[in-house]
This record gives sequence, structure tokens and C-alpha cells, in this order.
Amino acid sequence: MKKLVIDPVTRVEGHGKVTIHLDENNKVKDSFFHIVEFRGFERFIQGHPYWEAPVLVQRLCGICPVSHHLAAAKAIDQIVGVNPEDLSLTAQKIRKLLHFGQLFQSHALHFFYLASPDLLFGVNADPAKRNVAEVAIEHTDLAKKGILMRKFGQEIIKTIAGKRIHGISAVPGGVHKKITLQDRDYFLNSKDIPSIDAMINWSKEIIDFLKGYHDVNKKWLDEFADYPSGHLGLVNKENGFLELYDGNLRALDANGKVILNDVPNDDYIQYFNEGVEKWTYLKFPYLKDLGKDKGWNRVGPLARINVCNGIETPLAEEERIIFKLATHNKINNKTMYSHWARLIEMLYCAEMMKNLLNDEDILSNDLVRKGERRNEGIGIIEAPRGTLIHHYEVDDKDRITRCNLIVSTTHNNEPMNQAVKWVAKNVISGEPTITEGMLNQVEVAIRAYDPCLSCATHALGQMPLHVTLLDHNGNLLDERKR
Amino acid sequence: MRENVENKCIIFGIGNSGRQDDGLGWAFLDLLKKNEFEKVSFEYKYQLQIEDAELISNYDSVIFVDASKNDLMIGYKFDTCRASNKYCFSTHALVPETILYLSEHLYNHKPKAFILEIQGYEWELKNGLTKKASDNLNRATEFFNQKYSSDILKA
Repeated sequence: MKKLVIDPVTRVEGHGKVTIHLDENNKVKDSFFHIVEFRGFERFIQGHPYWEAPVLVQRLCGICPVSHHLAAAKAIDQIVGVNPEDLSLTAQKIRKLLHFGQLFQSHALHFFYLASPDLLFGVNADPAKRNVAEVAIEHTDLAKKGILMRKFGQEIIKTIAGKRIHGISAVPGGVHKKITLQDRDYFLNSKDIPSIDAMINWSKEIIDFLKGYHDVNKKWLDEFADYPSGHLGLVNKENGFLELYDGNLRALDANGKVILNDVPNDDYIQYFNEGVEKWTYLKFPYLKDLGKDKGWNRVGPLARINVCNGIETPLAEEERIIFKLATHNKINNKTMYSHWARLIEMLYCAEMMKNLLNDEDILSNDLVRKGERRNEGIGIIEAPRGTLIHHYEVDDKDRITRCNLIVSTTHNNEPMNQAVKWVAKNVISGEPTITEGMLNQVEVAIRAYDPCLSCATHALGQMPLHVTLLDHNGNLLDERKR
Repeated sequence: MRENVENKCIIFGIGNSGRQDDGLGWAFLDLLKKNEFEKVSFEYKYQLQIEDAELISNYDSVIFVDASKNDLMIGYKFDTCRASNKYCFSTHALVPETILYLSEHLYNHKPKAFILEIQGYEWELKNGLTKKASDNLNRATEFFNQKYSSDILKA
């Protein structure tokens, strides 16, 4: 038996590794997507005062710290006795604006920087070409827009939280500062930054680009990593529409049947369990009723568009309807459609940012509310990559005694393993020669989930991709570095 | 963008102060900021991203400061940064040479660019520099202030 190893998986956030076990005839026997870094946040946050949680947990990530900040803040609001609907309108809207800025920049990062090289140059293109720098050179206009879209989202974050990464906005029961007229004017009327209308228009342009790509590559997009799964996401408590900040949990099975029916956040523990495997540090969440083998769900843009009844902003809703037509209004289990769904969410975020920037409530001084102290808080939010759960228990001395985090990529653990199995079985198995392009297709399938495996920082000159081919005794047969 | 385009120079500190000596780049900025240079912007970065090409296109000169795992004879190394796409590995974090290359190609502007590497030794999840890294930082800062700051930062 031979073993293929892809380590690290590239153009994803953090470090992961793939191993594919082949027999003597190059038939795939099994495959695994491992998360090889251990972080232990749930443990070392214990003992800290609860008000530190929204600041500390941001350090989980350099890409989506805002999501952790807000999920923790929602949980800590409850510790101080404030439910999501009891926050002041100002606090709710400033947090949402921050959240939409985060999603907008994160989705832009993923599409333009990480995913577009595969789409523009092809999954079998020369690996030296499959990177954002080549995209910038050959598709200059696209690259410039991508840069400015990401920057717009980052500027929203910087304005509200003080810094683009690891800033602070939320405090227990609210936010610590309002948005000033000068801040708002910068986004609405300044010539120093492209307008919010430009963000909306460019988001539509990128969706049009992807729809054109879909027309030409429909067969590949339809078939590549198409496998049945559940889909999980938050939906609006009133109308079941797309909801990214505060909603109920809804899940559908691979055929579109409701398997989790608009469950309030506080009840999540009744419905979810987490499994473990020896070969990875990442857990495997699943719905208790369905069990570990059948209860796993995709989360993220594709799942969210699948589970929602509609989108409240008009342009994004138009695009959602077109998106749904591609699968005749049935549930979409096609992994590569995640990119399309992600762009629809970008448009939604741009429209919502425009609404919020024009809302007078964000200028108010009504920032913080107080309530009756509790000992437990649960915050659930839709992070860029999917449903993010923060759950804290505190003692009477204000110390955190228990912390449970189910991050988006954890939900997507089994879906990503299924994606790897699909490529192993349908692209690699039985082939006499394993090409670099085949290995990249493993990464393409994982990359569609935009996994955030952890945030790793590297000193100058580090970040290789090392692929090794080992026999069944672990002896090195071949290796490749890039 | 919000950055003041009147500034002549931007200095990037790259790294993470929560990973011991990976914080050398940020620590260098902390020390340099005490000089109260005019017309200088400071940018603390975990990683360089493509949008930094747009950012540096607003400046006349740029200095990238990062921790290094390389064995440097005097604990640091200051050198010219030459635009190149040869380091475009298949990932989302970019190197200074690529940022410079992209600034030139996307925005038709190539500022004077330099890289300051400062040797580090420990990279675990912990705040604070090691003693040897701190010594290297002090040497690098002294060198920079004496030999280059007047030319680069006050030009």
C-alpha cells in the first residue's frame, strides 16, 4: 500500500494535511483530512474574568477575529443579563455593521486571493501560475477591485474596532463607542475610498463573472465534489430569511427535508454532539438524533443559501433566485457552488452596509444596557465560514469555569473529509500516475469551504508545501516541494 | 484610503508578539516610534497581503522589518528589497519582493524598498522576546538610527 501526503494544504487559513492511502494498483483505500495543530483555547480561557472573553478569543484567528469577538460578546451579554433583542438599537446596528464589514472582506479575500487562481487558470495549470500575484498581472482590473473591496471591509472594521485585526468594539451589554459623523462621511462621501455603491456594483460584476464561468463550466461545477450532506445555518427568527448575526438554527438534509426546525440558540446543546478521531485534533459535530454517521452538516455560504427562505436585500435576493434555478429550486449539494453562494453573500453584505451607514441609529450615544447577572451565556453567529458557537459558564467570582467553542470549520470537518474522499475516488483512484494537478484538485475541494484551520504566523522565508509519497512501511518513494 | 499620502515612508513590522521572537518586527516599530519621525507611517502586520501593494504605492520608500530564522552574522541584516515574483508560492501570504513587484505592475509605482531581518530563536505561544533576540533588536535599532534613519526617514 502507498500513501500520498499533502502537507500543508495551501491557500487555506492555517495548516492542514491530507493523506490518501493507495493499494498496489493505485486504487484508493482510504483518505483523511487532518488538522495537525493543537491550540487549546477552550482550556486556557478558563479562570479568566468573563469580560475578557471577547478580547481573548479573537486571538483564535487573524482572518475572522471579529466573528469570535462578536460570538463571545453575544454570550457575555447574557452573563450580564442582556438578551440579543435587548441590546440598544445603536449597539445592535454597530455590531452588525462590523460583522458585515468582516464578512465582506473575508469573502473578498477568499474569492480573489485564494479561489480565483483555480477558476481563472484551471485546476491543472502550472502551480507557479496558480497564485494571486499571477491573477493580479493577468487580470489587473479584477485584482484592483478585489483589493479595494477587501480594503473597504477592513476600513469598516478599523473605524468601529480601532484596528483591522484584533480591535475591540463590543463590551458586555453593548459597544464601547458610537460612529461619528466624520466616520460615516468617510464611507458615504469621501473621495479617499470607493463608495459603498461601488462595492455593490462590483459585487454584482463579480457575480456576473461567476455566472458566465458557470455557463462555460457547468458540467464541472455540477459534478466536482457533488455529494449528499446536511446543511446548517441561522435563519431570521421572524421570516426564515438569511440571517448572519442573530437567528434560529435550521438544518436541512441532503434532500431538503427540515431536520432542525428553527431552534433557539440556547437550546443548541440539546441537539448537537461532538465526536473525536485519533488522527486529527478537529472534532466532528453532529446532530444527536441522526448520530455521528448521518448527523453531520455543511455550514457556510452554500448551506446558508440552502436553508434560508429568502434574502431581505433586493439585489442579493434576485441573485439567490437565479442561484436556486440552477438546481431547479432543489437543495444544492454541489461543493463548487459555494463560490457562487459566497459572492451572493458579499452582495448582501454590501447592501446591508449601505443601509446601516445611512441609519441614524449608529450615531446615537445609547451604547450599553444592563440586566440581571447570570452564570451562563451562549452566543451563536454566522461567521464567514459558517455557524460559530461560543458557550461560557462563569462562577460567582466572575471567572470562566467552562468554555465550549464549535467553530465553523469544525462543522465542516466531515464535509471536507467527504470532499477529499470524493476527489480520491473520482480523480486519483486507479490512475497510473499521480499528477500535481490531481493533488491540487484535493485542495480545490477543501478550499471551496474556505477552511480556517488556525492562524499561524511565520517568520521570513517560511511556508513550503511538501508532498511526500510513502510506501506502506512509511518509506519515502517520492517527494515534491513548492 | 485613510493613510496619509503626504507621508514619505512606511515601515512594516511583520510578525506576532504572541509568538515570542516572531514579535521582533513589531518591537522594532515600538522602538522607532519613540523618535517621533515626521512623514513616517508605521504598519503592524501579521502577514503581508496583496492590498499592501496598493498601500505602498502611496509612498516614496518602504521598509519591511521581520523576524528571521536565518543565522545572521551580527544578529540582523539590512538589504535592498528587489521586486520579484519568483517567491509567489501557492499561498495567501506574500513576501516583500512580491508586494513591491505588484505595486509596480498594478499601480505603476515602485518605491525605494528595504528589508530588515532580525534574528529570532524561539517561536512558541508566549509574550516577550528572548534575551538574544532583544540584543539583536537593540543592535539593529542602533544601526538603523545611526546609519539609515536620517537618509531614509528624513529625506
